Amino acid sequence: MSVAYPSARQRLQGTGRSLLSMPFAYVGTVALLAVAYMTTPALVSPMLLLLIVRQAVPLAIAVIGQSLCVRVLSLDLSIGGVILAVSYILTSGIIRYPEPVLLIICILFGACIGALNAFFIVRIKASSVIVTLAMALILSGIVISLSQLRAPGDAPALLRYIGQARWGIVPIAPFVWLALFIPIGWFLRFSVFGRYVDAIGANPQAALLSGIPYARIVTTAHILSAVLAVFSAFVLVGFVGAGSLDIGRDLPLSSLVAVILGGVTFGSGRGGAFGPAVAAFMLTFSFNLLTSLGLGEPAKLMLQGAIIAVAAASYSAQRRS
Amino acid sequence: MRIPFDRSSRSGLRLSTFALPLLLFIALCFLSPSFLSVQNLGNISGQVAALLIVSLGQLVVALIGGIDLSVGSVLSLATTIIVSVDPSYAPAVALLAGIAIGLVNGIGVTYVGVHPLIMTMASMTFVQGLSLFIHPVPGGTVADYLGSLATSPLLGIPAPLLWCVGAVGLAAFALSKTRFGLRLFAIGASPPSAARNGVPVKLYSIVCYVICSVAATVAGIFISGRVSSGDATVGASFALDSITAIAMGGVQLAGGAGSVTGVVLGTITLGLMTNGMNLLGISPFLRTAATGALLLFAISMQRRNVIGV
Amino acid sequence: MFDVSPGHALVAFHSITKSFGPTKALSDFSLRGMAGSVHAITGENGAGKSTLMNLLAGVYQPDSGEIRLRGEPIRIENPGHAQRAGISTIFQELTLLPNLTVAENLFLGREPHRLGMIDRAAMQRRSREALDLVKSEVDVNKRCGELAVAAQQLIEVAKGLMAEADIFILDEPTAALNAPEVEMLGKLINSLKAAGKLIFYISHRLEEIFRFCDVVSVLKDGKHVATHAVGELTHDRLISLMVGRPLGQLYPARRPRIASASALEISNLLPAGARHAVSFSIGRGEIVGLAGLQGQGQREIIRAIAGIVPRAGGEVIRFGSTEGTKSLEPSIVATVRSGIGFVPEERKSEGLYLSLSIEQNVALGMLRRQPMWRYAEVRKPQIAELGARMGLRASNLEQPVSDLSGGNQQKVMMGRWLASGVDILLVEEPTRGVDVGAKSEIYALLRAFADSGGAVLMTSSELTEVIGLSDRILVVRDDQIVGDLDGIAATEESIMRHALGGLPGAGETRS
Repeated sequence: MSVAYPSARQRLQGTGRSLLSMPFAYVGTVALLAVAYMTTPALVSPMLLLLIVRQAVPLAIAVIGQSLCVRVLSLDLSIGGVILAVSYILTSGIIRYPEPVLLIICILFGACIGALNAFFIVRIKASSVIVTLAMALILSGIVISLSQLRAPGDAPALLRYIGQARWGIVPIAPFVWLALFIPIGWFLRFSVFGRYVDAIGANPQAALLSGIPYARIVTTAHILSAVLAVFSAFVLVGFVGAGSLDIGRDLPLSSLVAVILGGVTFGSGRGGAFGPAVAAFMLTFSFNLLTSLGLGEPAKLMLQGAIIAVAAASYSAQRRS
Repeated sequence: MRIPFDRSSRSGLRLSTFALPLLLFIALCFLSPSFLSVQNLGNISGQVAALLIVSLGQLVVALIGGIDLSVGSVLSLATTIIVSVDPSYAPAVALLAGIAIGLVNGIGVTYVGVHPLIMTMASMTFVQGLSLFIHPVPGGTVADYLGSLATSPLLGIPAPLLWCVGAVGLAAFALSKTRFGLRLFAIGASPPSAARNGVPVKLYSIVCYVICSVAATVAGIFISGRVSSGDATVGASFALDSITAIAMGGVQLAGGAGSVTGVVLGTITLGLMTNGMNLLGISPFLRTAATGALLLFAISMQRRNVIGV
Repeated sequence: MFDVSPGHALVAFHSITKSFGPTKALSDFSLRGMAGSVHAITGENGAGKSTLMNLLAGVYQPDSGEIRLRGEPIRIENPGHAQRAGISTIFQELTLLPNLTVAENLFLGREPHRLGMIDRAAMQRRSREALDLVKSEVDVNKRCGELAVAAQQLIEVAKGLMAEADIFILDEPTAALNAPEVEMLGKLINSLKAAGKLIFYISHRLEEIFRFCDVVSVLKDGKHVATHAVGELTHDRLISLMVGRPLGQLYPARRPRIASASALEISNLLPAGARHAVSFSIGRGEIVGLAGLQGQGQREIIRAIAGIVPRAGGEVIRFGSTEGTKSLEPSIVATVRSGIGFVPEERKSEGLYLSLSIEQNVALGMLRRQPMWRYAEVRKPQIAELGARMGLRASNLEQPVSDLSGGNQQKVMMGRWLASGVDILLVEEPTRGVDVGAKSEIYALLRAFADSGGAVLMTSSELTEVIGLSDRILVVRDDQIVGDLDGIAATEESIMRHALGGLPGAGETRS
């Protein structure tokens, strides 16, 4: 007997099986839209939906990085601090350089923070949750205390354009996401690096023992996550139009929830790259829905906590069986 | 993977654990004239009391190799319950809530097998939402008896000190004199070996998470009496602060080593640092940043073999 | 056969069968152990000794057959149950909690208490009494993590005595002891025997069997070969009972050894924690087998060469890589990068990506020489061809590896390395848990690899495999290489003689 390629029937069976095991985000989005249509039909208008898509962009960008970290069994909860710092750098005038240079400085800054996180996680082997939370604390503490001396100001013109302008009725911001999502997604799917990420997620011990450069891959994941947080900040600052001390505070947690809803669990990249993106939209939509129903921040938090618990529990239960 | 012990002093105490607070104390005596005043020292004990209680709870969980990020939210929840429910049974309701959350954490970690960081992050978020739901804006009234429990001195001893002594005494007794305490160290070193000796590992683990949540609740009741209001955000910093405090006190987050003395010293170190920065006029936000840096430093001292969460 | 009147057997195994997946660890096994005797259980690797003792210790339960304790049938559900039934096991991996004191360890789970508090005075007093019974002078308040292995073993025995065990299982007790400590152990065993206890003594050390034991039972391939009084046997007779089976047609033909270019030179390599350094070399076209009894240091040696286990000294020099001759850094990443593959023994937990497909698993090997940032060039036809060459039985390449049988999984793991272009393979247990058919296919793969200029270093606990496949056999005992035998000429007996001989700890002092 020799090895063959899947027959048409096997392919169909495979598709059926994968439909059932699809990330919750797809089903969830459809369900949400249905619920919304019944309770608040106005929410389902194309105009508003596009606005929600635009609103979801910073989250969707952050989700790209977070999903990569989760796939290599790590987590990045420092993105809130990075966003805060970047928004401060961009709007307070504390660094006087022309806009494009400022943007590059911010990106470099993000890369440094990511590298610093990676240092503690990979070399010192400290827990990524604690390291990134501590880093967020440090960054937000420094930024907020600096802002007492020099308040954040207006966003640079370029960013305001990106964040708020439209082409016709279509907002520009989602294209920023697309410009990041496509190359990175392509890279992760087709490069050697991407295959190594799959390996680490499937069996970290085997990845270590087969000579895969584990440390370098996790480091790259964290640097990328931090840099993507910088891009999130660009778009966010553009929306808001000015720097703010509240900016991006909920992003770390929401990005983790979106990643989980998108089918990426610790160790497996099921749902590919689209799952988390759809989940980012779904989460943003659900927050808007909750707000329109009169339930605010408390409901958001309770929902997210419940989602993490249920998803983690079901993943654990699956792993045992 | 369990880190093997070599020089196994299971208290985790080292020279630096004692030296650090001592050096800080001495430095502050020189750096700030008002440091040694009775009022300031009283302030320190008031600030430190709640953190100490929470950290002692965190110690219990750390001894078995776990961790609890939800302590801050549980503390906040307690304060919101105190101002929202009939005062005669408010503390009881708060304690019940704390026990329930501890049970959820414990069962999630031991029976369902969720990683403690993830499980307690989930409950932290949920409980935070719940607290905001119960009492969105800080305020409310706290019953007088709770206020006086938290603030009135007894026989000249300031109330916070009494709470501290009570908590420390209880914890020290439990860990060094009871069978439960001894078995916690066994579980932390090797759950299978402990189980082979007849220790009910899963049950004890759940109890530890319950104890931790209850400690956070007690701290919340104390704080609500002290500031005379309920505030859903008051507990925000306690999760990371308690982890910093126990790590500075020599507690091994991998389990099996730690002591009440260490936790007290670690909490004092953190309290002195905060107080010192206060006296020196440093912005409270820089204080937060410094605490974050201290946490990074403290966990770098821990030994671990895993890359990632 | 050692004949015993049925009524006096303290422990009896009746027709026990125990399988782990496709492997039959024990089949139709029967044995009797008597009170007041020291009963050796011996046999080579995989003979079933550990399984037998684990059944008694409650770690496993038999698939069929019966265990009888004092004449009564019993099903030992778990280690706690075994303890309560009076069976005390002292494993090679010690189970004392390192951060608890001796006294606390002895009483863990049944601490004496008064008014809710631990009665430390009583605990210390009774611990002292227990330790006196085994003539240990250790301070009961010392933490067990600070004690030497010998001292910990004594404490484990004391624990068993305290539990009033009648049956003691000692698994390779002298592995970590020096000569005087072995003496003391001997005296302890004698006093236990005089007290009417039954001691099962699992060991390969023939001199100890002859020195301490009354009866010896030999196991081979999960069956009970023979039980004799120690006085009736000689060294050689014992060895011949342990080995001796037909080699079969599994193995590809070998050519007589000719001088070949060196591929890898191991120079004074001291794996961390090992007692001795080793030196040897492997030539192109050679399959070198590290043989010997389990746990003698083979695993540490091969893993230290691979860079997984840290090195306390020595060098690994690689010849013929693209960068010429170089000394390898002690890291697995460097090892793999220089063209050496490592095939671990636990394929499921250490070697395969079970949730990924066959194609994905093998492709990872092909990526070895490609820079991380580039497009991954994976030639699927090549993978299919490799699969056919290996005789891989799978319905299609997109199947997750978890669906495959053990033999096919092993092939996928090997296939990954064969596709990666390495020319030296470090292989642990090439055919563990693999059916006979797949075994011969894997041997053919390794032979072909070597014949085309590759070099293979393998560890194997299957004697017939080592003899059948290797061109050269290095016998390892006690972290040292005690024999360098020609593969074609070697016999099971000659290897066993090297693997077993010599006195334990002779001339060595260890603290």
